[in-house]
Amino acid sequence: MQLGFLVDLHLCMGCKGCEIACKVENEVPLSTWRLRVKYVDVGTFPETKRTFTPLRCNHCENAPCERICPVSALHYIENGIVNIDRERCIGCAGCVMACPYGAIYIDPETQTADKCTYCAHRVASSMMPACVVACPVEANIFGDLDDPTSNISKYIQAHRDVQVRKPEKGTNPHHFYVGASQVHLNPLASEREEGYNLFNKITKLPLGGHH
Amino acid sequence: MVHESIAATNAVVTLDVALPDVFWGWYVTMNMWAKSIGTGLIFMLFLLLRKNPNEVDEGLRTKTLIVSFVFMNVFLLFTLADLHQPFRMWHIFFYPHFTSAITVGAWMATVFVGLESIMILIMLAKKGVEAFDKLLFWVTLLAIPVTLYTAGIMAEATARELWQMPTEAVQMVLAATLSGSAVMLLLGGSRFSDETKSFLANILGLSALMAFIVYMSEYVFGAMKAEEVAAILSYVKGDGEYSTMFWVGQWVAYIIPMLLVALYRVSKSSAILSLASLMAIGGLWVVKHVWLVIPQLLPLS
Repeated sequence: MQLGFLVDLHLCMGCKGCEIACKVENEVPLSTWRLRVKYVDVGTFPETKRTFTPLRCNHCENAPCERICPVSALHYIENGIVNIDRERCIGCAGCVMACPYGAIYIDPETQTADKCTYCAHRVASSMMPACVVACPVEANIFGDLDDPTSNISKYIQAHRDVQVRKPEKGTNPHHFYVGASQVHLNPLASEREEGYNLFNKITKLPLGGHH
Repeated sequence: MVHESIAATNAVVTLDVALPDVFWGWYVTMNMWAKSIGTGLIFMLFLLLRKNPNEVDEGLRTKTLIVSFVFMNVFLLFTLADLHQPFRMWHIFFYPHFTSAITVGAWMATVFVGLESIMILIMLAKKGVEAFDKLLFWVTLLAIPVTLYTAGIMAEATARELWQMPTEAVQMVLAATLSGSAVMLLLGGSRFSDETKSFLANILGLSALMAFIVYMSEYVFGAMKAEEVAAILSYVKGDGEYSTMFWVGQWVAYIIPMLLVALYRVSKSSAILSLASLMAIGGLWVVKHVWLVIPQLLPLS
């Protein structure tokens, strides 16, 4: 079994329902996110549009975070999920430095690394991840990539524009996007201007040590 | 490069809370800097014993080992302090994951410091220099991977395109020979002959020259093959927020020491050599810090 995720960006309307469901399900502390939706405004007024991109852990087949973790706190489980053992994590932040997708954070409450686990605890009980359940337009498609009859496999077969983030990193992500452009997937394809970000002055919880 | 499409798309991020900031800050800089000195001194002691053993008496052996030991412990202290869960450090020995350069490095550094402790005890107990010199050979061998493993960590940091393995490995070795020769010159002081001083000064000057060439090669050519590297290097170019610090580091660690070493070869003034050594040691910290921080400024989403 190899669980994977696909987001159809044609359907996503940026409601952030997935983000909130994830926060609630996993008790993600303030100022940190396992899943977040990035907004990028494209075009020149009046010809403008807003794009939405949900971003979460890609559960890579060749995960740099798993490789660099000195104590195997980040590890694969048999269904392909890259899981994290917070009791074992020493908080070296090696995984934070290694993840090309910026998907790992240091939890300010536990002082350990944390990230999306595809809701491994729910999956173990045969439930869908919280974000999948919350999505009002079924833009999140989750399932077994090894099973050609699963919804995600069928979706990948039926669409030609299936992409992953940063394929050049060789991480083989198990998180796919349909209907994505460079603006969605490449952080260098858009500007980040001071004063235009809705979350410019976000308050962050203090982390331990000197960070 | 996708960056060129921005003019057409006018794409602006209006909402994203990237998980950000500098996670490996000056604690890690201290870590790398102190380790360079700790291992570099061992390299220099080994070289001096081969080159001119008459000038390396028991006192210098003990002094060099103690200074190296102190810097290695500074390195370990800052490594520990940088952890968010420092009291779980023991996990690295009881749940080791050997694909991680962090694990391999921690084990090697621990053995290295243990062997250094034994060597200091040998000298303090006056058990003779033969045992010391035999152990020094193995400690010098171990110092090579201990110096290099941080480059391995940087290579495994897949998100930070600027840190490429062959280049960082070379920089780690050069940092060790630069700082090791500089500290050895300060430790030896007037007890060294002109020949030995020139030998160490040459190592200092050549290390500075080669490290400078590698940095300049990356500075000029690094941006030509990867857009991420180009974006990262923009932080040290033009009005980039680390431009000044980058050039201060290059001048203080490399350019001025190189010039001072050249001046020493003419004047034979020990004061000039001491100044070159102090600048190289201080400047190295700045150079390391800039190179550590700038890749972390780039948004990953």
